[in-house]
Amino acid sequence: MITAERKPLEEIIAMISPYRKILVVGCGSCVAECAAGGERETGLLSSALRMEARMTSRELETREMTLERQCVYEFIDQLTGLVDQYEAVLSLACGAGVQAVAEVFPQIPILPALNTTFLGQTKEPGLWLENCRGCGHCRVHLFGDICPITRCAKQLFNGPCGGSKNGQCEVDPEIPCAWQLIVDRLEKSGRLSQLETVYPPADWSRQQGTGPRKIIREDQRN
Amino acid sequence: MGTHPSDMNIDIFFCQQIDPAQDLNRRVIEKELGPRIKFFPLPCSGRIEPLHFLRALESGADLVFLVTCPEKACRYQQGNTRARKRIHYAQDLIQEIGIDPERLVLVMARPPLPQAIDRLTRELLTRIPVKGHSLLRRL
Repeated sequence: MITAERKPLEEIIAMISPYRKILVVGCGSCVAECAAGGERETGLLSSALRMEARMTSRELETREMTLERQCVYEFIDQLTGLVDQYEAVLSLACGAGVQAVAEVFPQIPILPALNTTFLGQTKEPGLWLENCRGCGHCRVHLFGDICPITRCAKQLFNGPCGGSKNGQCEVDPEIPCAWQLIVDRLEKSGRLSQLETVYPPADWSRQQGTGPRKIIREDQRN
Repeated sequence: MGTHPSDMNIDIFFCQQIDPAQDLNRRVIEKELGPRIKFFPLPCSGRIEPLHFLRALESGADLVFLVTCPEKACRYQQGNTRARKRIHYAQDLIQEIGIDPERLVLVMARPPLPQAIDRLTRELLTRIPVKGHSLLRRL
């Protein structure tokens, strides 16, 4: 899932200050899971913004709505007919959702209420950890299903740096050494010999340097 | 320039487990104090959401109490712990928009339970931590 965090209220208030009528749109997908942009958070943010406006004698009318996903046209289309009644949309989606909505409604400013952060997992309620960098060349199976690009601070492919202490990373002692985790897991499952192979550097051109990526599946298209 | 508690709009969210006879007991005090006091029974204080607090303030509450079961006495184990974290979250949020976080008050009922909610409420009203109406109400 994509994770995100709400922007500081000060920043959001500054963004919406030119507008008096705002449609606040949440997303029921990834950002709901990380408690940043779901229906609850949309209600919370709207309430806070309305109260702030009242206290500063600013006119503000808001309406809240939460789409299943803000990155899929069929859901975004639910805003058709509604968006024109507002001066701006405050979107609690990830960056992908904000831009997808803007593509469908280019005539109205779509303001991002969140800062998109990383691809990760819900480790436990209230704790989300990054575990994927979207490199486009997944080889986690070679490393006991622990991604050295994401979870090793130095992104090493061929063994630890030797700087870890008590299983914790030298760069950030608050995180476990990815290579310690890799070795432990491979050892436990009798696959330690996988590390005898020397792996070439990642092909970063799959991730960077070529502009926005795309995937096309003709069998899925209309 | 204090504001008498009877002038303040006070919302009280409370765990029903504190007072099994809460339905009867809160009507006693509702009759006594009138519409300025509103009670919101919860099946567990852990059911509270920050949105409840904000909606209460937005609707004109000057003060919002959250009354939880005593430490280690939550029948659902984590409910009162969760409630404490959520009120703190809401306090931080309202502070960001300039509302005094002390307008949200966490109260942990003292053992033993049960405790009559009307008696508890009278006690709460003797220790109002803020003066004056909420900024929102004054506007």
